[in-house]
Amino acid sequence: MSKKAKQMLVAYGLVIPAFMVVMLTVAYPILAAVIKSFQDPKTGEFTWANYTYFFTDPVQLKNLLYTLYVVIMTVVIAIVVAYLLALYLRFTKSKIAKTIGTLYLLPRFVPAMCAVYAMITIIRDSGLINRIGLLFGKDIHLGMMYHASGIITMNLWFNIPFAALMITAGLGAIPDSIIEGARDVGAGKFKTFTSMILPLSLKDVVVASTFVFMSNVGSFTTPYLMGGTSPKMLGIALFDQFNKYLAYNRSAALSVIMFLICSVSAFVYIYSNLKEKEWEK
Amino acid sequence: MEERKVKLEIKDMTKLYDNGDGVEHINLKVYEGEIVTFLGPSGCGKTTILRTIGGFLDVTSGDITVDGQSIVSLPPEKRPTAMVFQSYNLWPHMTIYENLAFGLKLRKIPKAEMDAAIKKHLALVSMSGTEKKYPGQLSGGQQQRIASARSLLLKPSLLLLDEPFSALDAKIRQQMREELKKIQSDLGITVIFVTHDQEEAMSLSHRIVVMNKGKFEQVGTPAEIYDNPKTLHVASFIGEMNFIKKGDKTIAVRPENVSVRAGSGDDLDGTVRTIMLLGHYVVLNVQCGENVVKCNVDRTLSDSLKIGDPVTLKFTKYSEFDTEAGFVPVGQ
Ligand SMILES: Nc1ncnc2c1ncn2[C@@H]1O[C@H](COP(=O)(O)OP(=O)(O)O)[C@@H](O)[C@H]1O
Ligand SMILES: [Mg+2]
Repeated sequence: MSKKAKQMLVAYGLVIPAFMVVMLTVAYPILAAVIKSFQDPKTGEFTWANYTYFFTDPVQLKNLLYTLYVVIMTVVIAIVVAYLLALYLRFTKSKIAKTIGTLYLLPRFVPAMCAVYAMITIIRDSGLINRIGLLFGKDIHLGMMYHASGIITMNLWFNIPFAALMITAGLGAIPDSIIEGARDVGAGKFKTFTSMILPLSLKDVVVASTFVFMSNVGSFTTPYLMGGTSPKMLGIALFDQFNKYLAYNRSAALSVIMFLICSVSAFVYIYSNLKEKEWEK
Repeated sequence: MEERKVKLEIKDMTKLYDNGDGVEHINLKVYEGEIVTFLGPSGCGKTTILRTIGGFLDVTSGDITVDGQSIVSLPPEKRPTAMVFQSYNLWPHMTIYENLAFGLKLRKIPKAEMDAAIKKHLALVSMSGTEKKYPGQLSGGQQQRIASARSLLLKPSLLLLDEPFSALDAKIRQQMREELKKIQSDLGITVIFVTHDQEEAMSLSHRIVVMNKGKFEQVGTPAEIYDNPKTLHVASFIGEMNFIKKGDKTIAVRPENVSVRAGSGDDLDGTVRTIMLLGHYVVLNVQCGENVVKCNVDRTLSDSLKIGDPVTLKFTKYSEFDTEAGFVPVGQ
């Protein structure tokens, strides 16, 4: 055997195990799910019914819109708050800023379940806020449990640190001299922000948004513990289809729908990466 | 002396960083239409002073005025200054055209006028036709020219330049200096120029401020500073200089101010160490005790000498300083 052939053999030998694992655990289930989503549960024949169900059934349609509402609110609020935090960390050189800069990632280190339960003890109608209110003679019922606002609040806890991390990195890469140059030719703070800082950090904002969006479309723990009975988020709806109704074909269709929703943001992500290349090279 | 208008005045200005570095008690008047250069080794505080004038650093104490008005409390965008930074800081997400147009747009200049001005200034720095390019597609030297054009476009009454040519190669550097001098005299603007290159300072400036360790050592015209250096540091930093220790005094004498003849009995006796022909003149290194003295002489003399010959030196012009312990001449 030639040396080259041997090297090829070794190379393939090294890659094949990982390749097989990916094929068996990722590619095969996806393919199987896609096929299943187009099959009638009884006859196994081709049908669109599994899909049309989720867009025509009023409860399912509500779940879909509810999920989009929660996710988009989460993305918008998380990104705005994270951006403000990142701006503060980038342009303030105080001790407080430094402390916040090292602490803001802490929420990421709290296990999800613990964090959700902790939040519940604070915001539920008999929770910490209610107790504090009672001390002052006010009976506060936030009404956030089993309501979108509770889920969104919890999502922010998880996603603000993550988004801030990405945006802080982006803002940190903008040299002071770029900002000083803008001020020098006469741009005020606001103009400097809109024409220098924002465009130069937009890519990181888009990337952070797409990641927050994708990770929340299929979220389960938070809506499971904090969400109401109707409407439900898609992750819970999928759980119901699969575990309660044993509707495997519909489950498959819903999985594909969720995948497609995520792929919209994946597309935005790839597009924004491609577009940047124009002035970067 | 003619009546001249003071453009910039720095009054007892101190700027200290948190770590104690910085500049202290700086006083300077810059007149309208002047090119004044801050010259000094790296880290002596040139950029610090320039940045306090431009508004990018707050002064610790003292005042800075432009046309008699204090500017220390103004943000950079309100100051009548324009700065070209050490790192040419073009905006990477904007084309060259957009980079140049940005400041003009803020001033609400009509489009036609703006286009004409941009065209003119691109030609001025020999960068015509690059409007559609992005800064990342230009070389360092080209970016530096665009940065200069960007500042000039705004017709600042005070232009601040922080080592703008240091990244360029020698030939372009020479061109850029000439351009700057021409543009400055055409537009009549006042320029403060920062450099660590004494040749650049000499060729460009009306007056030079020689700095060392956060202080002004001497302020004067290039000729004054060359002919009458006030301190050992200035003497060693500008031009070529021989230093000869005599007890507690140090004599500083330039190679062209040493006259040489065969024999002995003048200011200093020695023997010829090397003879180097440098075109129209000859550099003679003469060993005088432990000192080696460099002398510029003409061909007729050098042709009559050979290595090892006894010669005697006469200093036609020299400066005398108190010997400073630990003084090491720059670049020697
Ligand atoms: N932001 C800063 N914080 C602390 N020290 C600084 C800062 N910038 C400059 N320095 C110090 O101040 C001194 C003067 O620096 P600078 O003005 O940049 O010198 P130059 O431009 O002449 O090379 C140096 O000792 C430098 O280390
Ligand atoms: Mg400097």
